[in-house]
Formats: sequence, structure tokens, C-alpha cells
Amino acid sequence: MSDARDALSRIIETEEGAESLNAFLALADPDQLEPRTEGRLTGVPVAVKDNLSTSGLPTTCGSRLLEGYQAPYEATVVRKLREAGAVVIGKTNLDEFGMGSSTENSAFGPTLNPLDRSRVPGGSSGGSAAAVAAGYASMALGSDTGGSVRQPASFCGVVGIKPTYGRVSRYGLVAFASSLDQVGTFGRTVTDAAVLLDVIAGHDPRDATTADTPVADFAAAVGKGVEGMVVGVPTEYFPDSLDPAIRELLDTALNRLADAGARLESVSLPSTAYAIPSYYVLAPAEASSNLARFDGVRFGVRQSAADIGSMYEKTRRGFGPEVKRRIMLGTYALSSGYYDEYYGTAQRARSLVAEDFARVFERVDVLFTPTAPTTAFELGANTSDPLAMYLSDVFTVTANLAGIPAMSVPVGEVDGLPVGGQVLAPWWGESAMLAVAGALETAPLEDAV
Amino acid sequence: MSVTRADVGKIAALARMELDEEEVARLTTDLNGILEHVDQLTSLDLAEASNLTPQTRAPLPSTRPEAAEDADALDLPPASFAPDWRQSFFVVPPPPGTHREDAE
Repeated sequence: MSDARDALSRIIETEEGAESLNAFLALADPDQLEPRTEGRLTGVPVAVKDNLSTSGLPTTCGSRLLEGYQAPYEATVVRKLREAGAVVIGKTNLDEFGMGSSTENSAFGPTLNPLDRSRVPGGSSGGSAAAVAAGYASMALGSDTGGSVRQPASFCGVVGIKPTYGRVSRYGLVAFASSLDQVGTFGRTVTDAAVLLDVIAGHDPRDATTADTPVADFAAAVGKGVEGMVVGVPTEYFPDSLDPAIRELLDTALNRLADAGARLESVSLPSTAYAIPSYYVLAPAEASSNLARFDGVRFGVRQSAADIGSMYEKTRRGFGPEVKRRIMLGTYALSSGYYDEYYGTAQRARSLVAEDFARVFERVDVLFTPTAPTTAFELGANTSDPLAMYLSDVFTVTANLAGIPAMSVPVGEVDGLPVGGQVLAPWWGESAMLAVAGALETAPLEDAV
Repeated sequence: MSVTRADVGKIAALARMELDEEEVARLTTDLNGILEHVDQLTSLDLAEASNLTPQTRAPLPSTRPEAAEDADALDLPPASFAPDWRQSFFVVPPPPGTHREDAE
């Protein structure tokens, strides 16, 4: 209880001053900080990405179209948080509707990286990653469609988990690309992120894509060790162009796993090169369909016009440039005459990416790769070149395409900026993934703010 | 495959999006850059590849019985979030073009 009150005071003090990170879009009511129940997270302040529906706090998805929108119900993951005794301390900034890799696409301004305010925190869950790195919240929820939990975790020096597709309910998550979206967790430590996953995981009758499979005690898996495990190192994720300083940190991490009893094995995932082109057809195609509901009738701040067609069009002018770009790309890929050429081809290429993983996971328990090809880049560095921004997701989109779990864990720093290592596991293999991440964990960062 | 400014105009109409000239010009450039990258997929031999999403392999629960269930209760009463709520109805503006502004 006092944790949540202290956290809120600290957030208000910093975020309302000149040193604001712009990590939050809404904060909890100071009179509503009492945990509703006793549970595993009693009184723990948790930050929630603003594309998860919450009662009592607005849900804007970082979009002008949803400014002031109040959802009439709560996302299952938020309900589970409250049932575990957690306190939702605020709603965090994001790239509009989760579309971006830097949180610069928020209609409410970019979030700054707490470790270096001239740089981005990553995205799209940049507000959640920054909130945890800054010490504003012990844990946070995000969503990951192409790397939106793992890449900001890497850029901010925290732990970020994208669970297996179907492990966590998407009920109440505002949909971006429904076959790729998954709610994920952030923590200062692997155990914190795993405890939060324990709380939100499991079958939900309100989400038909959640699986009715047993949920292990993920937090207990963290300290299991890696003795006898086989860790695959995919050559395609260590290209010659990879920054040598990042490669050195990853090599050191791999050596640490070998010293702890794991066996390292070089493997190949030859279809990796097709992941980005496949993803940037499929995700926009799903987005163009999912975002059709923001028309001023079903959702969205309505703009007046003489007829209903003009009203739709004027209302949808409220989307930011990146959302418009993806809706246009997706509409094109789904349009008559181009559907098979683009959507059908991308869907088949996606299956090759998934088959690569299925094949190597017959020989190895987990894979280890960089999370991102760079450390946090400067604000504005990639905003004029969308393709360059998309290519920064090169190591993360593959897990979403295949549906497998993956997570980022800090492995060191280059020039004072954190670097994340990514652990990937087969379907429902979170326990093995967490055991490896636990073995890689070094001392967590000090509060950056 | 490349798109022209005219194509971008047609796609915008399909997507119910109003774009100004500057946006049409920028989107034509952006879409062509992205589609050029995507076109590398056309060199793949995908005849044998599955077109099912990998996610369909998940052990999903069996479908629920065909029986009516109670509707989800709202967390908040409608009057607390609806802009206008009268006599158990949401009051919405009339569709544009169907209502004279001076009728009320």
C-alpha cells in the first residue's frame, strides 16, 4: 500500500517537472490505491500499457482518435492483476495502436529513455519499459506484436517477456494484428517478470485463442539452472554487420551459460531473411481490418461532415502518419488482384519461418540471439525512413510469426547503453526459457531516475 | 510491383481515408520502398509451403456447448461513460445527411 503511494508521489514529482520522461498518459487516482484483495502482488504498483482496457482510467492507445475514451470493461489481464492485489499505478505511453519501435509515434509525444534522455526507449511498449527502468513501477504490462516488449526491454536495461501465443488472454487488448499480438511482462529482474506472467497466464473463456494447457510455476523455473541444456546459436542472428561490441557481450553471455553446464550448438534458421517482408505484409493487413472500427460510429472521436462517407474519412484523418501508412499497406495487400501475390505469399513464407524453429527445437532446448541489432538510437534518427525502422525488428518478429515464446534479458552495456540478449523457446517452453534467462542475469540496474 | 499516386488514391478510398496531396506523395514513395523490400518473397518457391498460420497448431479448447450464456456484465453503468443515456438507450447523433440541423 505504501509502495503504491510512494510510487505515485515519485511519478508525479518527476513526470510533472522539467525532467519528465513522458512515460505515462494517465495516473491512478490517489484515493484508489488500496489493493482490492490480498494476493501474490498485494500493494505492488504495476504500470499498464495504454492499449489494455481499464475501468476507471482512460484507454487511448496513444491515438487522438481515442482521446478521452473510457472502456466500459476491463481486460482480463488487468482484472487478474487486481485480483492478485496489485495496484494499477498508471497507463503508459506507446506508439499509436502499438505501431512503431521507438514510442515516437504516440500522438501525445515521445517517451524518453531514462538512461539517456536524448534517446528513444524503444517501442511500442516504451512507456512501460521506461517506467520500470526509472523505478516508477516494479513491474509493467506491455504487448508484443513484432518485438514491442523485448526491444524496449533491451533499450532500457530491463527484462521483457513475450509468452507463447495463446498463453495469455487478449480480451480487452485493443487489437493491432490478432494472429501476432500477445500481452507480455516487464520486470527489473527475471523473477519479477516471471511472477507477473504467473499472475496473468491461463485459459480465458472470453478469448478463444487462449489454450487450455497447464500453466507451470514460471517464477520457480528461474533458478533451475541450465545443467545439461542445449542452447542453439543461430548463425543468421549474428551477421557480419552486427556491432562487434554487442557480439562480444553476447559471446560472454554464452560462455557464462557454458560454464553453468549448458552445451552450445550452432544452428541455422535459413528462412530468417523472409521474416521482415512477411511480417510487414501480414501485420498491416490485419491492422487494416482491425482498425476499420475506428470510424466515428463504433469508436473514435467523430468529425462532422455532410454525408456518412465524408464523416468516416474526416474522422480517420485523426490517425498519425505511421498508422495511416500501415492501413494503406495492409489495404493494398488485401485488395482484389493483389491478395494472393502479397498476403498469400507472406502467409506461406511465415510457415517457412515457423518450420525452421520447429526443426531446430528437435535438437536444442532454447535459442540465444541478440534482441536488437543496436542499442537505443537517438530521438528522430529513424523517423524519416520507415523501412529502416522496420528493419530494427529483424531479430524479434520471427517469434511472433511462429507463435513461440521469447524474452529479453540485459547482458551488459555498450557506451553506457544497455544491450539485451534474447532467449527463444518452443511452444509452451517458457520454463526452459526462464531458466536460461535466470542463469544469464547479472545485477539489475540502479534506478535511472 | 510499384504503386502510382492514382493507386494510392484508390487504396485510400478503400480504407476510408482522406489524404491531402502531400500525404499522397509521401505514401507513394513509402509504399514503393516497402513493397520493393517485400518483393524478395516472390523469388521463393512456396508451392509446398502451408498457408495456415502456425498459431492454428495450438491445443485450443474444444468449442463450448451451444447454449445461451449470460452476457458479460459491464464494469461501469452505461450512464457513467456514455455521452448521453436516456431511458435505457444510448443516444447517438443522427447519421450525417439524414437529419436537418434545425429540426430540433
